[in-house]
Amino acid sequence: MENLILQLKNQIIEALNLEDMTAADIDDNEALFGDGIGLDSIDALELIVLLEREYGIKLANPAEGKEIFKSVASIADYISRNRKK
Amino acid sequence: MTTIAEISITPAGAILKGRLISTADITGLYREFAGDYPKFFKMDSLCKLGFVAAEILLKDISAEEKENAAIILFNRNASLFTDRNYQATIRDNNYFPSPALFVYTLANIVTGEIAIRHKIYGETSFYVVDSPDTPLMEEIAAGAFLTSSPSFILTGWLDYDDDHHYEAKLKLVRK
Repeated sequence: MENLILQLKNQIIEALNLEDMTAADIDDNEALFGDGIGLDSIDALELIVLLEREYGIKLANPAEGKEIFKSVASIADYISRNRKK
Repeated sequence: MTTIAEISITPAGAILKGRLISTADITGLYREFAGDYPKFFKMDSLCKLGFVAAEILLKDISAEEKENAAIILFNRNASLFTDRNYQATIRDNNYFPSPALFVYTLANIVTGEIAIRHKIYGETSFYVVDSPDTPLMEEIAAGAFLTSSPSFILTGWLDYDDDHHYEAKLKLVRK
């Protein structure tokens, strides 16, 4: 899980152009939206694309998104249970 | 119309009021003259160019004065550089379109980015024309003073062809 979390942080930094940030700057459980890292709705769409492109996961139920994208740890947990590649 | 300040940014550097102030590239200019707006890195190249030009030009203008300002920009290539980048993400059969690129496939997004950053609530518009036709650009800016009475207008040429060919020639003008 540790490796997946680190890989995911680096993929998020690259996909979302978080230029001045490194994996070490993102706490595993820190909120990604709102007061935490401060991602916006376009970033949420990029994360959905990232899950499909890198892990073959299509979000079947958009309502799940809020829970899945809460933090890097919650995304990694979802990936580990649903990944197709 | 009276020109308050004028800036020119090309790959060769930035010239403010006739004086070379930096030879850095666009990201270098951001780090030199702004540096506190992480959203800059999410912008497309046209927006980054307009953003840094506006940062430098609007540095000493009060928030009160900016509130009622207008932004009127012109270029030849619209958002073509980003349109091409976006098209590249949907070229293959098994494609993954980029939402972050898609939102910049309109030239006038840059006027919004500048307005958001500086809390400018006046008119914003973006014209796509063949060449930097100064009389036409000035006529349109002068027209804005007649219709909406802005405190000043950020106006001029803002074109991004590719990473080696871009030009911002913007100025602040008062009535």
